Amino acid sequence: MPTARAVEPVPELLELWATSRAYLPGKGPVPGLRDAAFAAFREVGFPTTRAEAWKYTNVVPWVNRPLRLPPRDVPGTDRITAWFAGGVKARRLIFVNGHLLPELAHVGGLPGGVTVRGLGRLLQEEPDRVADALAELDEPRGLTALNTAFASAGAWIELQDGAALDEPLQLLFLTTATADSVLCNLRNVVRLGRAARLHLIETHVALGDAKPLSNVVSQVRLGEGAELRQDRVEIGAAPAALIERSRTVIAAGGRLCRTVATLGYGLSRHEQGVRIVGAGAEALLNGVFTPTGKEHVDTQIRVEHAAPSCHSNQFYKGVVDGRSHAVFAGKILVERAAQKTDAYQSNNNLLLSDEAEIDSKPELEIYADDVKCSHGATIGELDPAALFYLRSRGLPAALARSLLIFGWAEEVLERMADEATRLQARRAFLARLPGGAVLGEP
Amino acid sequence: MTALLEIRDLAVSVDGKTILDEFELVVGAGEVHAVMGPNGSGKSTLAYVLAGREGYQVTRGTIRFLGRDLLTLEPEERAAAGLFLAMQYPVEIPGVANMYFLRQAMNAIRKARGEPDISAADFMKRLRAQAELVGVPPELLKRDLNAGFSGGEKKRNEILQLLMLEPRLAVLDETDSGLDIDALRTVAEGVNRLRSPERAMLVITHYQRLLDYIVPDRVHVLVDGRIRRSGGKELALELEAEGYAAFQPKPAEPATAAA
Ligand SMILES: Nc1ncnc2c1ncn2[C@@H]1O[C@H](COP(=O)(O)OP(=O)(O)OP(=O)(O)O)[C@@H](O)[C@H]1O
Ligand SMILES: [Mg+2]
Repeated sequence: MPTARAVEPVPELLELWATSRAYLPGKGPVPGLRDAAFAAFREVGFPTTRAEAWKYTNVVPWVNRPLRLPPRDVPGTDRITAWFAGGVKARRLIFVNGHLLPELAHVGGLPGGVTVRGLGRLLQEEPDRVADALAELDEPRGLTALNTAFASAGAWIELQDGAALDEPLQLLFLTTATADSVLCNLRNVVRLGRAARLHLIETHVALGDAKPLSNVVSQVRLGEGAELRQDRVEIGAAPAALIERSRTVIAAGGRLCRTVATLGYGLSRHEQGVRIVGAGAEALLNGVFTPTGKEHVDTQIRVEHAAPSCHSNQFYKGVVDGRSHAVFAGKILVERAAQKTDAYQSNNNLLLSDEAEIDSKPELEIYADDVKCSHGATIGELDPAALFYLRSRGLPAALARSLLIFGWAEEVLERMADEATRLQARRAFLARLPGGAVLGEP
Repeated sequence: MTALLEIRDLAVSVDGKTILDEFELVVGAGEVHAVMGPNGSGKSTLAYVLAGREGYQVTRGTIRFLGRDLLTLEPEERAAAGLFLAMQYPVEIPGVANMYFLRQAMNAIRKARGEPDISAADFMKRLRAQAELVGVPPELLKRDLNAGFSGGEKKRNEILQLLMLEPRLAVLDETDSGLDIDALRTVAEGVNRLRSPERAMLVITHYQRLLDYIVPDRVHVLVDGRIRRSGGKELALELEAEGYAAFQPKPAEPATAAA
């Protein structure tokens, strides 16, 4: 047995596999792929804190428990429409408790060269293509393997060379109060051809006191000169867990601008791998995490520069309060071929409580000699001079604090391209701040 | 006539070091007082003590403002009571829009006084009028509070806040420094508009020039933490001509006896 062997899954999970295996969508090579994935999952198991990437996040209690596959649940439309974003013309796929709701999808009449489909149907209709895509992420990782084994929903988004969607496309992932112990394995595939353009909005919402586990894997590919703007909010109740691993590959001249706001979830783990394989490409990764109470947020970023003259910037801010725990590990890897790389990373945090914890670990690994790289992490408190300034203008202390904290996060939120998403994020953040309701909408 | 501000035998220390001592000042309603003094004499310290900044320890004495014991009040309570400090170095607050902040401040003060919120329309109307008066362009209202503002823009913005909040006592800490001559005139005009029988001002400055526009009733010379001399507006001219040499404490005099 290898020493880094991870945790053996509980028997209920093995049983879940045994009983549901035959009913999962996908013909042709798909069942074999699932079997292999589950075997890999059994072999690798769930990660423990002995693994470097999981050092500060004990994921076991969140994942290794009796889980069930999601029953269908259609909440009242008012609960869904509240989370619409992207403007009136936005296209949309809605997933509730891990199921696509086709009747609520709005992806008709797309421009030529643009495909937006649910993964479930595609698994049945074009199993070979999907199987090829699923096999792309072949590193033996427990949660990814688990996802591949069970994946039955997600978004398949494909833009041919030169295709563009002018309106944003929203992927709304919602879990409801009935989703206790539900395992949502979502798999997203995004492929942008040469010079294709897409504005993607990802809205993750967990409602109620249920304790679902969303295990998401996203595979993104940007062709030459393609442009992807991605706004993402995570607004989840405390018992819910959201774990996502994404892998993005960017070809020459491609441009990725991603902004993530984590505003809830008992556990939010976001692992982003970005690999730049062509010259002149750019990857901007912005994020703000705001754990409070006993929430745990873990961001793992790895940007790999494998081609010359590219630019990447990780701009992450934290507001860490209560008894929460935030983890940020950001790595920049510059390979020998990647001369003239400009790569930056910053993670600045406000630590607002003595009982909260932040572990911030920036890392550079550089094999090229003509590069500009920098990284920095700070952990600080609110500036007393700023607090005094606001109070001297009449703002009560608690409100002044909240306003400063809001301003701190706003520097990230304002980078969101979609106004509605930005507003949702602001509202959700204000609701978490003392006296935030009074602050209204800035 | 009761005094609006009454400071008696005040001693203030910062980090255990006495900055102000045996400090006395009485400002009546409707009056404008100027405080002049060399660098480091304690002018900003006075301003901060009035506004209630942390770290400024009052070791002796009293401050009464409109008959209340000012020293028992939190900074925001002082603002609600009608005190305003235009700071020498206004703080940059990224992520908080200037205009939004101002409305929050106004409503916080109104709330503390038991008044209803100002309507969005009334607020905008007033803001536009006052901003024009002090030369704050509309784009500055939308930008983050003081963030990246030039020195002069920050000062104008302080005066805009002053005009919007209409305090009973305005303390201006070197509002003139960093302003060009036209800006100085505009700002002074703004301040003068606020002059009224029930309001008072404490103008801290290094230069006689500002006092040509905001003509004071009294001028006080602060040197080494104490008021060394008080007089009419002529005193400022005298200072301009002769400097502070005459006011330096004599070596024989134990300047920090009370420390
Ligand atoms: N935190 C501190 N620790 C020690 N000394 C301090 C502190 N803050 C202020 N002082 C000192 O108190 C004295 C008075 O400072 P203050 O800022 O009040 O002067 P000022 O009259 O406003 O000067 P200026 O004209 O330069 O603005 C100075 O000698 C200053 O160095
Ligand atoms: Mg000063």
